Amino acid sequence: MTQRKSSGKRSSTAVGVEEDDSIFTQPTTSQVQKGMEKLTKAQIDEKTTELVQYILMKDQKKIPIKRADIVKNVLKEYKNVFQEIMNRAQQRFEQVFGFKLVEIDAKNHVYILINKLEPVEGSEMISGNPKTGLLFVILSLVYMKGGVVPEGLVWNTLKKMKVDPGERHPEFGDVKKLVTDEFVRQRYLEYTKVPHTEPVKYVFTWGQRAEVEVSKIKILEFLGELHSQDPQHWSQQYKDASSQWSSRAPQPSTSSQR
Amino acid sequence: MKRGRCTGSGDADPPQNGTSDDVMRVRDPEAGASNIDSLPDTNDEVDSAHRRDIRSKYRVLISSIQQNREDMLNNRDNKITEVLDEANTLFKEVHQAREAALDSQLLVVASDLGKEKASQLFSEGLSFDPSTFVQHTLSFMGLNWLEEEGESSDEGAATSHGSLPRNAWHRLARRAEACFQSTPAFHFIYGSFQAEPPPPKPRVERQRKAPTKEAKRIMPTQLKKMEESQQEATEKEVERILGYLQQYHNQDPTSPISYYEFVINPHSFSRTVENIFHTSFLVRDGLARMYMDEDKMPCIGPVEDGMLEEGRASARKQCVISITLQGWRELREDLDIQESMIQPPVTN
Repeated sequence: MTQRKSSGKRSSTAVGVEEDDSIFTQPTTSQVQKGMEKLTKAQIDEKTTELVQYILMKDQKKIPIKRADIVKNVLKEYKNVFQEIMNRAQQRFEQVFGFKLVEIDAKNHVYILINKLEPVEGSEMISGNPKTGLLFVILSLVYMKGGVVPEGLVWNTLKKMKVDPGERHPEFGDVKKLVTDEFVRQRYLEYTKVPHTEPVKYVFTWGQRAEVEVSKIKILEFLGELHSQDPQHWSQQYKDASSQWSSRAPQPSTSSQR
Repeated sequence: MKRGRCTGSGDADPPQNGTSDDVMRVRDPEAGASNIDSLPDTNDEVDSAHRRDIRSKYRVLISSIQQNREDMLNNRDNKITEVLDEANTLFKEVHQAREAALDSQLLVVASDLGKEKASQLFSEGLSFDPSTFVQHTLSFMGLNWLEEEGESSDEGAATSHGSLPRNAWHRLARRAEACFQSTPAFHFIYGSFQAEPPPPKPRVERQRKAPTKEAKRIMPTQLKKMEESQQEATEKEVERILGYLQQYHNQDPTSPISYYEFVINPHSFSRTVENIFHTSFLVRDGLARMYMDEDKMPCIGPVEDGMLEEGRASARKQCVISITLQGWRELREDLDIQESMIQPPVTN
């Protein structure tokens, strides 16, 4: 698998690539440059715009975007200059929208859009989607309990808030589906099986999107408000939260970019 | 894994154990030597019963871990250590692969549990209690602490009593969203664009079809009308003029009606021509007769019943009457015709 983590020039063979990505082999940088030379500026701009629009539309549901889909639906015959177009799209997102296009799964090449700008409290932009409240409860619970939590604990906690996975909730509908399916597909949570359990048991962890999109410090601050405590009281979590995005200093963009 | 001593259980019972024994014997060459010592039959039964017993004890241990998993996880007691101690004791009597397999299964289950317990160590020192968390959160969401009738649960009053306001989760979300750096979902202001080429096509087709049908329909009806109107017009006119003729005649049956006075319309030449045209039909059909008076001026009069028989044989005289604009004017002046005797038809 080390071939995948290419540092400089990309290798021309794709090892261990999944799904439709198998037809897409990474060209070398010189090949990309040659490909770019053949295209006019207008063509490049048009493709960049299309990609930006495509990503914005896919972002509506917050389901991560696969590179294979981008190549199939947007780039098509331009797939050999994928990286260049991606870079330009990223620039557009940052400069025009204040968004970041982040690769949350370097192995499967899956991307999401997050906001570069800090949310302003009390602003009208915050819509108050109730699902966010539910997600907050689960994420907080998982985080404060060490990062891994058996599903039983999550269900019990939610039941105390009148959210029962076995019943239909007036606000959330099928709660179990929302938590184990929708949140998982959006990569906010991960729902993994514990091996050798009979009957089968699952645990919850933070998903790849949550790691990138949710500020642990801010969670702690809110929890501190709720408990009327200084967030530093939870020393271990506080320490962990402080270093959450320290590795993000340059840019959490596509890791294959060089 | 300890190599068990094979006490007389070698060759004697291959049908019961099959290949596992062969494996044991292959791995432990020493064991083969001691086979010969024992008496086969009695030792078989005792031994297999003993082994069944061991297996069932292992299964009990495994299920105890699985059933009491939550307890073993959450409690600080040493239940799992006890299980492991029992397993160790049991293992001393394990000689066959079958029991050994159960032993490894037990180890796997126990170590999974141990791993979970170890991960709990991290959270133990963190003083985060889910129940407290729930209480505070519910308060934030605006829970009404109404006292309801009914038993109070052991878990505390937070759960069974009280009701949440309708926007409780919204309230929580508004505050929680500050922790998320999520992008606002992108939507077009006026909704997404949907191309609509298909609907206009049938509409255009239908519109095209409709006019053509109507147009076709119009044509026949119009034609019918025209033919009818022509026929009707002529017939009606002729009848009408006959009416006038008879009317004038009846006013003064003895005095003749001057032909020219009858047909000429002083106001309109074309009407005059029409009148001449229509009166010619009357003469043709034998409904009117023309004759010359003493002054050699043509006169016209309706044909009366008695006159028909006389004139039949000889009444095949034809003449052509023509009139010009000039002639019409002269006649009008000479005869001093002020009004037309035949009123023009009422046009729609």
